[in-house]
Amino acid sequence: MKKELFANPDLCTGCNRCTIACSAKKEGVFQPSKARLRVTNFPLRGYSVPNICFQCPKANCLEACPTTAMFRDGSGVVRVNRDLCSGCGSCVSACPYGMVEQDAKGIPYKCDLCEGDPVCVKECHAEALVHATGDAALFQLKAAQMKTRPQSGTPLEKRHKIAETLKRSSRG
Amino acid sequence: MNLYMGKMLVVDLSAKTVTTEPLRADWAREYWGAWGLALRYYTDAVSPEVDPLAPENVVVLMTAPLCGTLVPLASRMCLVSKSPHTGTIFESNVGGSFGPELKYAGYDGIIIKGRAEAPVFLKIDDDLVTIECAEHMTGQGIFETEKLMEAAMGAHGAKTLAIGPAAENMISYSMIGSESYRQFGRGGTGALFGSKNLKGVVCRGTGGVAVADMAKFLERTDHYTRNDLLCDDNLWAKTDGTPILVEVTNEMGIHPTRNYTKGFNGRKETLNSDAIQAAKLGNRACASCPMACGKFTRVNSAEIEGPEYETLCLGGSNCEIHDLEAVIRFNRLCDDLGLDTMTCGSTISLAMEMTENGVHNFNLRFGQVDEYLKVVYEIATLSTERGRDLAKGAKHLADKYGATDLSMEVKGLEMPAYEPRGNFGMGIAYATSERGACHLRAFPIFATDPHDIDALVTEVVNAQNANSIKWSLGFCDFWGTINTSIEADLMSTGLGEPVSAEELDQAGERIWNLSRLFNLATGFTAADDTLPKKIMERPLEAGPHEGRVFSRADLSRALQSYYELRDWSARGIPSSRKLATLGLDKTTL
Ligand code: SF4
Ligand code: SF4
Ligand code: SF4
Repeated sequence: MKKELFANPDLCTGCNRCTIACSAKKEGVFQPSKARLRVTNFPLRGYSVPNICFQCPKANCLEACPTTAMFRDGSGVVRVNRDLCSGCGSCVSACPYGMVEQDAKGIPYKCDLCEGDPVCVKECHAEALVHATGDAALFQLKAAQMKTRPQSGTPLEKRHKIAETLKRSSRG
Repeated sequence: MNLYMGKMLVVDLSAKTVTTEPLRADWAREYWGAWGLALRYYTDAVSPEVDPLAPENVVVLMTAPLCGTLVPLASRMCLVSKSPHTGTIFESNVGGSFGPELKYAGYDGIIIKGRAEAPVFLKIDDDLVTIECAEHMTGQGIFETEKLMEAAMGAHGAKTLAIGPAAENMISYSMIGSESYRQFGRGGTGALFGSKNLKGVVCRGTGGVAVADMAKFLERTDHYTRNDLLCDDNLWAKTDGTPILVEVTNEMGIHPTRNYTKGFNGRKETLNSDAIQAAKLGNRACASCPMACGKFTRVNSAEIEGPEYETLCLGGSNCEIHDLEAVIRFNRLCDDLGLDTMTCGSTISLAMEMTENGVHNFNLRFGQVDEYLKVVYEIATLSTERGRDLAKGAKHLADKYGATDLSMEVKGLEMPAYEPRGNFGMGIAYATSERGACHLRAFPIFATDPHDIDALVTEVVNAQNANSIKWSLGFCDFWGTINTSIEADLMSTGLGEPVSAEELDQAGERIWNLSRLFNLATGFTAADDTLPKKIMERPLEAGPHEGRVFSRADLSRALQSYYELRDWSARGIPSSRKLATLGLDKTTL
């Protein structure tokens, strides 16, 4: 069975080591705003949600792509071929989880699971991120996170909406 | 530029202008960041006799070079100004993620001058920086103010600094809050903002922090994280956080109880780490920190990130409050209204002792929860006579009612939660700190012999120097095993130019001496390097150090050897030889 990335908001401390590390790897500088996962913090309620790309089995980002720039590779990861991208941004609005964004040139970037060796997981000392084949508990977590699917808004707004829902069910 | 952003934001609230200026590279090489660099900017900008709350006073907020990177526990930022509470030079620092965000927005620090005509907040949206109207936030607590500023930014997740009503009322121990439960806690940082009519700062930064060689930098960071930070000496922060100190200090007999009457609390179990763990919902961390020492707790309907050790003791034991829910409520009120829990707790315990001794009836008694919680609001809002009395802090309260033998402060700053009679090292640390009684300059509680003055003096001097550079590089106290070799290696790798441990050592000493020069120039003398009367005269009750005092004779012996070791005169003035070695001989202070 293939390994997947799972997030557990109840364990997340809001440290952002994952986003700092992801940006270092992908952008060569420490720049969390460009990370391929994001953390939504609710400090007053002591809650944080790591927003991750689920490499959806039925991926809206991929389906929305009018060219073949978005594709699924052999390991199931949804990736972007920059050379084929027209910069239309359809994938950005299509992802209900706010996990695709565009760079300065309009080319989208998203999580590629770091060639099967996720840096974010390595830096998460709280075990809020795990890379595993998954068990019932992890799949349940994932299902809960994938349930809220905002259809409109910026990626930031979508992530925030999902995180709000998760916070409410955990903190009341 | 590597590690630094190379730019300072200069905000003049009187002139309503926001400008930027290049970071002074020459100062950065001598003072490095955060505390040191803010101190250098500050001493250049004001004259020592400045009134802290006058528009002429300046507030410097400064991040540190490793802040915003993956280096763990390095995201703290410092505020330096003259304190309205002590009148000394004052450094206060905060964790969380405002510091990193400010760097991502492109600035190493902010220099705030003048006074706005009406309440304003500062909005930093990358390079778009504006001064905005804050009239609608007036009177709001910190939590609501942060929410309103975030909304004004129009983006969830913007980072904030905010003040509450206590700071608007310029209470000398009001603080600046950040992300709800983090603070520039001590010395009246909030009143500084309040005096400038500055309700807060909201920041969003989308840029990045660069290093010379990313692969090597990540390798060194990982190496020290695994082989030094995440080792037995430091892991208490991850498992327990500061509440572990409740058991530690009780066992040592240095746990302040009943306004520093006793060194041991017989009912410590209600507020110790086990009690916190039982109430815990989750762990919380500052940016880039794998420890997550913050414990988010809930008891009944009261929730908070905390309480931390100082609050558990000064708002708990020391007021003989043994109820975790009450301490959480006290803590939350302080965090929202904008009061330093340490000074607030200590001032309340003083009023309790004065009431019980018949000095003056404040209707506050040890162990009485209702009035203890009520008075916090009265202090912050200045709404009652006793609230106005307590709002001035322990020193003024004791002076007003002739109870100077009961007030537990040094240079006007209320003592932290470590009893100096049981550990002389803490006494030496309190007496010699530039900002008054403080545990963040030296922390010799683990000394082999807690009463060996000579050994403790040496330990205090070394720790003060080491912490001066540690705070200047933005490191958190809880990387207890870090040293200037590790710091120098990380700095060298990040900057791409050699930095030596020796120059960092010297910078620490430079910062300490420059602070001293500032205090001397404001009129402080060796006579102010002292301890509360109770510590010097009244024997400690309960615990292993029962019967001890830290006598005047012992203190003067300690100070004599302290000054000698620092190469200061018998009157506590740095020698010209020492100043020349540190490159401080040309300072105008
Ligand atoms: S980017 Fe969004 S839609 Fe595409 S695979 Fe990831 S989560 Fe699914
Ligand atoms: S797996 Fe890699 S690309 Fe994806 S979020 Fe984690 S670090 Fe970033
Ligand atoms: S590294 Fe882990 S604990 Fe820290 S923010 Fe990311 S997911 Fe949360």
